[in-house]
Amino acid sequence: MIKIFTLLSLMVMMPMQLTSTNYNYSYYGESVHSAPGMTFAAYLDAQSLGVSLSSPEDLVVYEDQIYVVDSTTNALIIIDEEFSLVGEYLTFELSDEYEDYLTSEGSTDFSDITIDSPYGIDVKETGIYICDTGNFRVVKLNHDLEVLGVYGDMDDKTFDEIEFEPKKITVDSSERMYVVAKNVYEGIMEINYDGEFNRFTGVNPILLTPFEIFSRSLMTEAQLAQLQLFLPTEYTNVAIDEKSFIYATSKTSENNTDNPIQLINPKGVDVIKRNGYFPPKGDIHFVLGSNNYVIDGPSELIDISSTHNGIYTVLDQKRSRLFTYDREGNLLYINGDEGSQSDKFSEGVAIDYFGDDLLILDRGTKTIVIYQLTEFGAYVNQAIAYHDEGEFEKAAEIWEEVVKINSNYEIAFNGIGKLLLRQEKYEEAMEYFKLGHDTYYYSKAFKGYRNEILERNFGLILGSIVFITCGVIGLKIYSTYKKGGSILYDD
Amino acid sequence: MMTKLKKIYNDYIKFPKYVLLHPFDGFEEFKRYKKGKLSVAVVFIVLFAFFRIFQFQYEGFIINENNPLMLNSLQEIFSVLLLIVLFTVGNWSVTTLMEGKGTYKEILMVTGYALFPIVIIGFPSVILSNLLTLEEIAFYELLMALAFVSTGWMLFMGILNIHAYGLAKTLLAFIATVISMLVMMFLGLLFFDLIQQFISFVVAIYEEISLR
Repeated sequence: MIKIFTLLSLMVMMPMQLTSTNYNYSYYGESVHSAPGMTFAAYLDAQSLGVSLSSPEDLVVYEDQIYVVDSTTNALIIIDEEFSLVGEYLTFELSDEYEDYLTSEGSTDFSDITIDSPYGIDVKETGIYICDTGNFRVVKLNHDLEVLGVYGDMDDKTFDEIEFEPKKITVDSSERMYVVAKNVYEGIMEINYDGEFNRFTGVNPILLTPFEIFSRSLMTEAQLAQLQLFLPTEYTNVAIDEKSFIYATSKTSENNTDNPIQLINPKGVDVIKRNGYFPPKGDIHFVLGSNNYVIDGPSELIDISSTHNGIYTVLDQKRSRLFTYDREGNLLYINGDEGSQSDKFSEGVAIDYFGDDLLILDRGTKTIVIYQLTEFGAYVNQAIAYHDEGEFEKAAEIWEEVVKINSNYEIAFNGIGKLLLRQEKYEEAMEYFKLGHDTYYYSKAFKGYRNEILERNFGLILGSIVFITCGVIGLKIYSTYKKGGSILYDD
Repeated sequence: MMTKLKKIYNDYIKFPKYVLLHPFDGFEEFKRYKKGKLSVAVVFIVLFAFFRIFQFQYEGFIINENNPLMLNSLQEIFSVLLLIVLFTVGNWSVTTLMEGKGTYKEILMVTGYALFPIVIIGFPSVILSNLLTLEEIAFYELLMALAFVSTGWMLFMGILNIHAYGLAKTLLAFIATVISMLVMMFLGLLFFDLIQQFISFVVAIYEEISLR
């Protein structure tokens, strides 16, 4: 009976499993089958929440609450940890402090504030920050949803010509706001806690080929003006981690598709590690050029969210895929399926980690899709966590489990190899690093192995060297004597 | 037996080494006293093709980025063959116009002899690369660079000597050779493309008629 039941359920399950193939990239850049790292768990939509969602734009998680902004209903929606609605807010009263401030500025207008097409939100201990894009300002609320400040005047010559249209925002521990604004190519705007523009950080460099530099050097001013502007690529999103490092995603430029993900340190320098088999940039292989049958071009990364141990996930809006990387830049797993069914998403706009689960906000179907780690994904994350804490043995044990689930997973072999290297089992370690294509650690293991062999055979090697040298000299002397010469006198 | 071994040593190691280190005297003997042998040159070319396969497969893991599944021996052999044929034919056709004294056989022989450093340094280096760590791999790269530079040197001096050219004229001859190689490749592609079009045209006509 159980057998028949299993068979029948397999007949239903197998095609479902096979329609969506989970893949990862091998060292040689082939796409190989992989166990899924995350899988669909639940979804929330307007009906289950009891609000009207028409074009949700951004989502952020703060202390078991989910904050969503909608750019058509102009609402801030708060959802609690049970995934039920806390409230939908359209107008915000002024706080006493802000009223005092306005009075001191000589203003008498204390009417409530509304937001117009908000595109971004971030929530921190210090307050709720909303990109009030339609009103060209950033609105800061406290956790009672009273207005603490409104920041719209940016004192920079960039905004002499264009309006300040904030799209995405993130805030660090010292209340500095980092804003991605529309049509601003200088970088991410850093705004002080009092709303004063500070500087641009994390400028996206453009790379010119030697030929371009040469041809531009020959052109006249008039010709240069006629050329298409070489604009640095625009940032698409920012998220801050606990160390005040900014994870940023940007559109890829035509001549540089390798740095759509950046980790910007407080100095404004990109410090992300690209030690994986390929630089973290979403899909590695894609069709180039216009094509009517498949989606072409590189991944269009639209949001980024980091979780513990430096693991971060990016969302590719173009193909509706989620790429999860570790701190070193290894591609851990790829997830997500394009579609309009409830467990898929078609136009993801924002992601954020909710504990270990991942929330994906879909503008197309107006849902929040919740993905949870599979056994495989949980193992991988756990192994990385152990590795970070220096518990190599525990990490290696888990990597072995990972390999059992997914033997195509080359990173796991490196994890096992590192333990063997520490245990000075060099030969085995070499074998594992070879499987994981880690030349750096392979070299270390090989060095140990070579020393081992040299030590074991030291007598033999030294002996043979002495023997051969003596033999050669002896032969030489012998042949000299035989010819009737003398070794003492040079003749 | 001993004399035979000695002869092989002389032909394959000693004389090429002499030519490498004393290019003017060496190529003088090479050309005037017919010390160069076509068989030796062919063996070096074959060994070079084999070296490419050997390097693809057995280069040390630390430096080897090749996917072992992508090894195609025939492709390696043909690419070496194509390169040699293109170079020799290109050089011959250019130097005949530029009053070069060398014959086609001599050009082929010089090309073969020029591969001597790669063959003689390359094989041991590839074996050595398996015994090096990441920090020491620079030695391997140095050796390979040395091999390729001396091959270039030998080819240059060889062409200079067998055609009895000066320095400037040799450089000119090399540039012209590269251009003629490109022209030949272009013509080859054009020819294949036209043949392909013609065949598909004939096939289309045949199908039209047979279906009618």
